[in-house]
Amino acid sequence: MLRYVAKRLLLLVPVLIGLSILVFAYVRALPGGPAIALLGERATQESVEAINRELGLDQPIFVQYLRYAGNLIQGDFGSSVLSRRPVVEELLERFPATVELGFAAILFAVLAGIPLGFVAAKRYQGVLDNTSLVASLIGISFPVFFLALIMKYIFAVRLGWLPSIGRLDITRSLEHPTNFYVLDAIIAGDGAAFVDVVAHLLMPAIALGTIPLAIIARITRAATLDVLSEDYVRTARAKGLTTAVIDRRHILKNSLLPVVTVIGLQTGLLLTGAILTETVFAWPGVGTWMLNAINNRDYAVLQGGIVFFAFLVVVVNLLVDISYAFLNPRIRYQ
Amino acid sequence: MSIAEAEASQLAVEQPSGLWSDAWRRVRRNPAAWVGAGLLLFFVICAVFAPVIAPYGPQESVGSLAAVPPGPSAEYPFGLDEQGRDVLSRIIYGARLSLLVGVVSVAIGLSLGMVLGAISGYFGGRVDGVIMRFMDLMLSIPGFLLAIGLVTLLGRGLFQIMFAIGITTVPIFARLLRGSILAQREADYVLAARSVGTPGLRLLTVHILPNSIAPVIVQATLAMATAIIDVAGLSFLGLGPNDPGLPEWGKFLAENASRLQNSAHLVFFPGFAVVFSVLAFNLIGDALREAIDPKLRA
Amino acid sequence: MPLLEVRDLAVRFSTRGKTVYAVNGISFDLDPGDTLGIVGESGCGKSVSSLAMLGILPKPAGRVSGGQVTFDGEDLLTLPDERLRHIRGNDIAMVFQDPMTSLNPVLTVGRQLTEALRTHLDMDKKEAAAEAGSLLDRVGIPDARQRLRDYPHQFSGGMRQRVGIAMAISCQPKVLIADEPTTALDVTIQAQILELLRTLVREEGMALILVTHDLGVVAGVCARTHVMYAGRFVETAPTAELFANPKHPYTVGLLKSVPRLDAVRKQRLDPIGGAPRDQTSEPTACAFAPRCAYATSESWEQLPVLRELDGATGAAAHRVACWNPVPERDLVAAGIRRPPAEGQSSAGLGEERPA
Repeated sequence: MLRYVAKRLLLLVPVLIGLSILVFAYVRALPGGPAIALLGERATQESVEAINRELGLDQPIFVQYLRYAGNLIQGDFGSSVLSRRPVVEELLERFPATVELGFAAILFAVLAGIPLGFVAAKRYQGVLDNTSLVASLIGISFPVFFLALIMKYIFAVRLGWLPSIGRLDITRSLEHPTNFYVLDAIIAGDGAAFVDVVAHLLMPAIALGTIPLAIIARITRAATLDVLSEDYVRTARAKGLTTAVIDRRHILKNSLLPVVTVIGLQTGLLLTGAILTETVFAWPGVGTWMLNAINNRDYAVLQGGIVFFAFLVVVVNLLVDISYAFLNPRIRYQ
Repeated sequence: MSIAEAEASQLAVEQPSGLWSDAWRRVRRNPAAWVGAGLLLFFVICAVFAPVIAPYGPQESVGSLAAVPPGPSAEYPFGLDEQGRDVLSRIIYGARLSLLVGVVSVAIGLSLGMVLGAISGYFGGRVDGVIMRFMDLMLSIPGFLLAIGLVTLLGRGLFQIMFAIGITTVPIFARLLRGSILAQREADYVLAARSVGTPGLRLLTVHILPNSIAPVIVQATLAMATAIIDVAGLSFLGLGPNDPGLPEWGKFLAENASRLQNSAHLVFFPGFAVVFSVLAFNLIGDALREAIDPKLRA
Repeated sequence: MPLLEVRDLAVRFSTRGKTVYAVNGISFDLDPGDTLGIVGESGCGKSVSSLAMLGILPKPAGRVSGGQVTFDGEDLLTLPDERLRHIRGNDIAMVFQDPMTSLNPVLTVGRQLTEALRTHLDMDKKEAAAEAGSLLDRVGIPDARQRLRDYPHQFSGGMRQRVGIAMAISCQPKVLIADEPTTALDVTIQAQILELLRTLVREEGMALILVTHDLGVVAGVCARTHVMYAGRFVETAPTAELFANPKHPYTVGLLKSVPRLDAVRKQRLDPIGGAPRDQTSEPTACAFAPRCAYATSESWEQLPVLRELDGATGAAAHRVACWNPVPERDLVAAGIRRPPAEGQSSAGLGEERPA
């Protein structure tokens, strides 16, 4: 088991290197260039050259990459062309918002999706099963931003139950030691703020989590159906165990294995959805930050954002692989 | 008739049926497939016959510019937008763009992916290793993000966007075909064909490919659904096709997101257009998958 | 009073409008310590019968459509599931065919053993663990206490089946049903498992129902054997008598299909022609007729019922459901019975010639 983890961690290195090269090449290949973005289309040749020298863009490509890689390792991602602040600083400020949103969304998807899929499978072809199948098919046909807008319309515009902008009521003040607002509210012991934070988090999280919910429910259902037809479930019944025990210890424990893998795979979907959802709810996360960067050719920021996402995906995949290996005794005890 | 004849008739074997007719029968019985096919037909008709069906042109102003565009009415069933254009007509014309993007991008991804997958699966060895490493790298980036990246790089022309979305599907098709080929390569019927001297290319085209095609068809259908969602998403972020002629549903939606309070119809109609067109592909793809993969039939 | 009394058990499966009549009225008695073999080819309904008795038919397709199964005075088929649950694993236990898939891959063997103990015998963790250890010991697994912590995939096939048997006998059931317990195992392991079953039956005083398609398996273990075809018993007899003096053409066919070292004449292997009956309708005549060399018009029109042959009665009775039992001379020709000496009847192989 330990060998497996070590091996996977080691594999991380070439992947990260490959990614850094890819990102480097990509950002260099983008049309325009920071110089134009900074100075505008009418910039003179001299000022362009001056900026290029300043940003080190006049060196040969290889040297540029080494400088870039060296900077990366030291945690220097350059500075935002727009705000002139170091990218890393802005990233650290912004990523908790996205991670908090993503985590809330996946929590919702898992807590609702797994029981749904499980019960649907147990009552195969019952009302719940057929309804949930149809509902999940419809669910994955919704673009996440449309879903977000619908929810905004119903709950914010029409019913006025939930706030639809940002993470916190602007009139409220809260210390942000962690920048994870939920944690911050708990640390501050501010009950009202906590409620406010959760209220702001509710809609975006549900909107973002609905599609993963549909997928998780479907996979759980399929996995449970598979397990239900396994011989060892029959053995468990023949032993005279109660339904609850059979459900929990024999069926769920086995059907959750493939679900764990799927949950990890949802990270990619979540990140994609995060960008779109953040836009709808004016959520100050990495998504809106990157979108801004794209529209303004702020390539240092773009680079930082891409590296952040890629890193997140790779790490989560690693965690999923390891937890799967841990949960499955056939792999854990080789 | 006597017992003997009755027993004998019961022992009669069922009509032998090939894999395809079997699958086709299963699809036919699936109500979801019919709903999906119906929806798809509806959108295809909209797209093909737009000039005939739509009451007005996509850019035609029939009303006045309004601060608060009017909602659905008897005269304009889907209402008007802020430039006084008929929403219904714009939606109908939008079908052209969405279906075009869906089909073309998947066609691009499919052809490239299949070629790569075929090369990888057939030749194996180092070639296979290199290609698959690259595919894995591509797959580690979520499709939509990859599309955003490519569009930022290539520009916002319609073809570039279709190409970008198509590229994001390449690793999936490549992997699928390669997996299929690898599995078939060791299959008994292939070994039998090889043992009588069937040449490689013929082996591939006549024996292996037809048996590998089924999951590819399923995936292609589902990829079209994703493509439509992707292009809507790109438009929503301001990265959609910059051709002002045809009204892309996602763009339509994005431009009016701020008008949600008073003119929700401008958000809901294009949004549901996306939902139903995507649903059509999902229903069909799902039905095909269930028909082809016997394991899913519980 | 017999321990288990089965009367006219019938089971049906319905899927998508089609009905399969898997079991069409079987009856038998089981006394404590009895060893009963049920023999038949795949699809004859033998496994289904056991599942039906315990109430664990695959739902919703499977359904008991008739009969009674009386255990300890109660009809199992009409008991509520909660009551039945107490009997399963506790009074009546089952060992299944494929030890690879019959054990839960994500639970330790110890856990799977203690489950039944704690559910039925109300043991606490420690007691159950100790008992589990000694159970593994009894079924012949070395290092029993350590092995409790292992997972099923860490055992070999034969070992896994021993675990399965340990699980089944853990609560000292009165009846053990073994459904093809050796089919998935190598021949040498088969012998070991059968020996284990024999020993346990003797030591525990359990009644055993052994379901199999392999005649060789019942020969060593079961005192009495029932031959099943198309969901019904076609011949029942004490095992020795069945082998020495089979009467039903199907039984004879089964015996002829097995190569024998002590065959009287060199015989070609004689398979039973045709295919098993398609069970989508209830049999109204002899189900074996299409494959039978002795079939007459009666066979095609009337359902044969089990009839006692002259001779022994009661538990040693030999019953056949056949309009045209196989005549002596054919048994001799098949090498199942030795040709008679002058003025005497034929003798079964291995039998003493009547004086």
